[in-house]
Amino acid sequence: MKRRLSTLGVNQRLAMLALVLGLVAVFAAPTGGSRVTLDPKDLAVIVAKEVDHVRVQDLADWIITGRSDYRLIDLRDERSYAEYHIPTAENVPLASLLDRGLARNEKIVLYSDGGIHAAQAWFLLVANGFKGAYTLFGGLDEWKDQILFPRLAEKPTPEEAARDARIREISLHFGGQPQTGAEAAAAPARALPKVDLPAGAPAPRPAAKKRKEGC
Amino acid sequence: MMAPFFKFGMFGEETSLVLAFVIGIGFGFALERAGFGSAKKLVSQFYLNDLAVFKVMFTAIVTAMLGVTYLAWFGLLDLSLVYVTPTYVLPGIVGGLVLGFGFVVGGYCPGTSVAAMATGKIDALVYGAGMLFGTFVFAEIYPLVERFHESTLLGPVTIPQYFNLPYGLVVFAVVAVAIAGFYGASVVERLVAARAKER
Repeated sequence: MKRRLSTLGVNQRLAMLALVLGLVAVFAAPTGGSRVTLDPKDLAVIVAKEVDHVRVQDLADWIITGRSDYRLIDLRDERSYAEYHIPTAENVPLASLLDRGLARNEKIVLYSDGGIHAAQAWFLLVANGFKGAYTLFGGLDEWKDQILFPRLAEKPTPEEAARDARIREISLHFGGQPQTGAEAAAAPARALPKVDLPAGAPAPRPAAKKRKEGC
Repeated sequence: MMAPFFKFGMFGEETSLVLAFVIGIGFGFALERAGFGSAKKLVSQFYLNDLAVFKVMFTAIVTAMLGVTYLAWFGLLDLSLVYVTPTYVLPGIVGGLVLGFGFVVGGYCPGTSVAAMATGKIDALVYGAGMLFGTFVFAEIYPLVERFHESTLLGPVTIPQYFNLPYGLVVFAVVAVAIAGFYGASVVERLVAARAKER
């Protein structure tokens, strides 16, 4: 046997190795179902480092650049969703979160009004083996404060002016109204942009693209 | 630590770009060293006188598959988290035909054309220009083809899932098919070479 083996070329030997590995795989390979163990230490690290958060500014960038490697989930009820939702968001109430065909290998960004429901949904997903679950930091409230109706300085310094111009641009892109100084403090006009879409349908991207042309 | 690393934030976008750069250079190097920077070598597989492309590609598939299988078995990779592209049956078939047609006519596939461009091959440059132009045309006519492009969605299924077979069995079957294929390829090469001599 040994002599025969030595007469084989490199290719044949590699082929034999592959065959053996393949044969072992029949008995050894994972069958698909995988158990989920929650390690409190891992959880603590995730929470402490805040790696489970997506900032609203980042999300705004993702939407503007048309990134599609994640799913944005709106956890609020249908009526609130129909009234306003972040563009591209899908409406999935907490109760049906696990039956909505979310895949464990997807990047999922959750948001609710504040952050609590999103955090609870996040835990539900993590406990079910979803590794790519994230929450929108501060939720829709933060989105409104930072993206739709950002407070801009009344007499900006040059650095502030540059930053504010960018913020204003993003805000207008999403149909928001940047607020300046006294006017904002007195009576903040916060009319939510219209979402003229049937509930459940994802917001169309072309609208975003058209606005971009103006820039 | 478990893979996949990037998707779940174990390193950032910048690191991933650096890694992509390094891996890309490695891939291009391997393609060039295998002789795939030459359209003649690539096309000769369609004339059945040199099946190196088939052998190299299938070797890469088997190597990667066994690697992934064993990494998953040793708990270093969570297979259920690896991205699987969704299958669109009819668009997949049509797209495959278009790619195959372009491969025979142009002499490159997308990856090899870039490797060939790097060595200064003019046909690869023309091929690359065609690729960009084709991409442009597709983007422009997308509204017309959108319905077809998104039809017959099967979802992100894998062979073990679709046929309800044990994962390991499929791995073994692919290895067996590959080895049979390698043997068959060498037989075909010999036959074609013998016939060429007769002429």
